[in-house]
Amino acid sequence: MTEHVLEVRDLVKHFPVRRGLLRRTVGTVKAVDGVSFGLDRGRTLGLVGESGSGKSTLARVLVGIETPTSGQVLLDGQDVARLSRAGRKQLRRDVQMVFQDPYTALNPRMSVGEIVGEPFAIHRVRPPGGRAAAVGELLELVGLDPGHVSRYPHQFSGGQRQRIGIARALALRPRILVCDEPVSALDVSVQGQVVNLLQDLQDELGLSYLFVAHDLGVVRHIAHEVAVMYLGRVVERGPSGAVYDGALHPYTQALLSAAPVPDPSVRLAGPSAADAPGGGAIVLEGDPPSPTDPPAGCPFHTRCWLAPLLGGGRRIPEPCAATRPALEPPRADGGHRTATHDDGEQHGHEHARDEHTGGGPAHLAACHFARPLPAPERVGS
Amino acid sequence: MSGDTSAAAASSAADHDGVVGPGTPLLEVRDLAVEFRTPEGNVRAVDGLSYRVAAGRTLAVVGESGSGKSVSSLAVMGLLPDTARVTHGEVLLAGEDLLSLSRREHRRRCGERIAMVFQDALAALNPVHTVGYQLTEALRRRRGMSRRDAGRRAVELLDLVGVPNARGRVKDYPHQFSGGMRQRVMIATALALDPDVLIADEPTTALDVTVQAQVLRLLAEIQAERRMGLVLITHDLGVVAGMADDVTVMYAGRVVERAPVRDTFGAPAHPYTRALLHSIPSSGAGGDGEGRRLPVIPGRPPSPAALPTGCAFHPRCDTARDVCRTDPPPLEAVAVDRASACHFAAEVLASHDVPPPVEHEEAAHD
Ligand SMILES: Nc1ncnc2c1ncn2[C@@H]1O[C@H](COP(=O)(O)OP(=O)(O)OP(=O)(O)O)[C@@H](O)[C@H]1O
Ligand SMILES: Nc1ncnc2c1ncn2[C@@H]1O[C@H](COP(=O)(O)OP(=O)(O)O)[C@@H](O)[C@H]1O
Ligand code: SF4
Ligand code: SF4
Ligand SMILES: [Mg+2]
Ligand SMILES: [Mg+2]
Repeated sequence: MTEHVLEVRDLVKHFPVRRGLLRRTVGTVKAVDGVSFGLDRGRTLGLVGESGSGKSTLARVLVGIETPTSGQVLLDGQDVARLSRAGRKQLRRDVQMVFQDPYTALNPRMSVGEIVGEPFAIHRVRPPGGRAAAVGELLELVGLDPGHVSRYPHQFSGGQRQRIGIARALALRPRILVCDEPVSALDVSVQGQVVNLLQDLQDELGLSYLFVAHDLGVVRHIAHEVAVMYLGRVVERGPSGAVYDGALHPYTQALLSAAPVPDPSVRLAGPSAADAPGGGAIVLEGDPPSPTDPPAGCPFHTRCWLAPLLGGGRRIPEPCAATRPALEPPRADGGHRTATHDDGEQHGHEHARDEHTGGGPAHLAACHFARPLPAPERVGS
Repeated sequence: MSGDTSAAAASSAADHDGVVGPGTPLLEVRDLAVEFRTPEGNVRAVDGLSYRVAAGRTLAVVGESGSGKSVSSLAVMGLLPDTARVTHGEVLLAGEDLLSLSRREHRRRCGERIAMVFQDALAALNPVHTVGYQLTEALRRRRGMSRRDAGRRAVELLDLVGVPNARGRVKDYPHQFSGGMRQRVMIATALALDPDVLIADEPTTALDVTVQAQVLRLLAEIQAERRMGLVLITHDLGVVAGMADDVTVMYAGRVVERAPVRDTFGAPAHPYTRALLHSIPSSGAGGDGEGRRLPVIPGRPPSPAALPTGCAFHPRCDTARDVCRTDPPPLEAVAVDRASACHFAAEVLASHDVPPPVEHEEAAHD
């Protein structure tokens, strides 16, 4: 059996909500609420979902900026929480992070050489050949001029700053890069340059990526597997091609259909939208519910477009409101699945399902009625 | 569309670069140039921008960051910072040149007929006033409405833009709304005075795709209903394709291509537009993380303080030849309703070089 480079089991991260002078705890933000997945060497897992769905929180737990409330993070099969101090230090070297905003992630008072070389100082590592040579190599690796070591961040463009961030993240030869929206702040014409760089580095160094982005196109391009998050949970997961071409969860289907495509025959809105191929976008109503107080039953049921159709237009099917669906393969007939009752303790269950699916990564969805998108005329209206 | 009026309007304004869209132009920008005073000297952020918007039509202005999209709309609205100066051009609102008016008069005219929605709604709304106050203030001041009528109208407006529980929410402050709801509040504020033209500067850039879809749909519905002219500023070609009738592509402060949307996406007439279309990673086309490299535009957009000679795009252009390094290409008609600023526009247009067709949702239906 091959071990995942990185594995996450039932990971939970809750934040207390405090109010008033005494900072009393008045609630809990369930930012990450039971997430499991495995990441293999040289592979990329894309993580998508709306703002506030818990993507960044998950990323921060993985690199050790936050400690999990419960659940496990395993590195080469070893539980990170049980590591010795030395082991934990190694972990911090093995898993590095690239941040979203190339404008604020770099210290403006430090030269590029200092920024890229800082991890050596922090971890008291003397790279073979010396720090200056190592920094030069790193800059070369990410396509920057090593002659620019003494320049400051403001002297670089957004794309170049993102390269500086990547060079720094690579300094300690990590095996895993957690990239939180690494190209979101960049212009389209420059995004591609950074995405291509990440792909080249993966091929060259065998890196594994957790790639968080809200641009579904970029994720499809770079990721081997995709996980879709909603309210702190993974609602669908599978090989990229399978998820993009045959999304099973109504939320993923809405997400994909809402993404604007560069094709003028697909109108996003207006009178012609409904006649457009694909029946126009599935537009979800309202905002995502607060993660402090997620809906009972299926967390998506308050916005689900499919449930009312199944329930005959008015009421949603009973299981949607009553029972939280587990993340599992869809039933072949697309009908209603039996599911465990929502006792709040079924995280382990999702994981167990997962282990059974030997071979390639399975395509899973957390919906009682998971199935490929029905005919367009049933959508919208 | 509005067939008979368009002919008259077109002939009256047909002199500028021979590109005429249908419909009566409500707002027309002619050969606009804006300069900033900077420590390094005067910098031209917008150089020779022209466009026109007709009732019920959507014009998209596309370009990368720094290409001059926001500066040009601020100039239209009379909202440029003190360090900026319009050095050339006209902004015609129903035939009247706003730039010939005093700044105060300019803003007053705009306040009545042109409204603007900004990218960052939180920064654009006043944090110390309730949303209801911001909606009623203009109605009372400019329309002389009573407090009660204005209050009723504010609730109607919030309702119109789909803010749930509008009656209760007029008393809330901007920070109490989510990003998407705040953008709706902004749109409601912009619609308060029933503008003829709405300029939306990256109205959904800060939003999730699902919320973006809601806001865009809302804009399109309101626009169709009121036959407003909509200027949609964006860097997202997906949004352009889904929303706009016509598109103006800017690069380094200048218009490089102008055309009906369908035509541009089918066959771009400028290498920059073509490269932009190529560089969009698609969530529809195949791809599974294996090996495919994204086509990219090498280099980066130039700073307006250090524009390349000749064609500003030449250092990044895959079609550039010697003449491009020395002679700036003028914006010229290349086909009916189409203009391009490229020495080899005809060649680019004829090559029909476009990205492979995007598969859309059908794939998921079977
Ligand atoms: N330190 C914290 N204290 C309290 N709540 C927090 C904290 N950090 C995050 N949250 C909350 O947890 C939820 C998940 O946040 P997170 O930043 O992970 O979302 P995200 O998916 O990365 O969103 P985005 O797409 O906007 O980056 C949000 O509701 C957020 O407000
Ligand atoms: N207040 C200012 N002072 C000097 N230059 C400015 C100022 N505001 C904008 N610019 C410059 O004008 C150019 C166009 O900016 P802008 O219109 O904001 O671009 P965008 O197309 O991203 O909206 C950019 O080069 C920008 O740096
Ligand atoms: S379980 Fe019901 S509410 Fe949840 S996604 Fe599936 S159909 Fe929608
Ligand atoms: S004029 Fe020359 S450099 Fe400019 S876009 Fe055309 S071919 Fe490219
Ligand atoms: Mg985030
Ligand atoms: Mg702007």
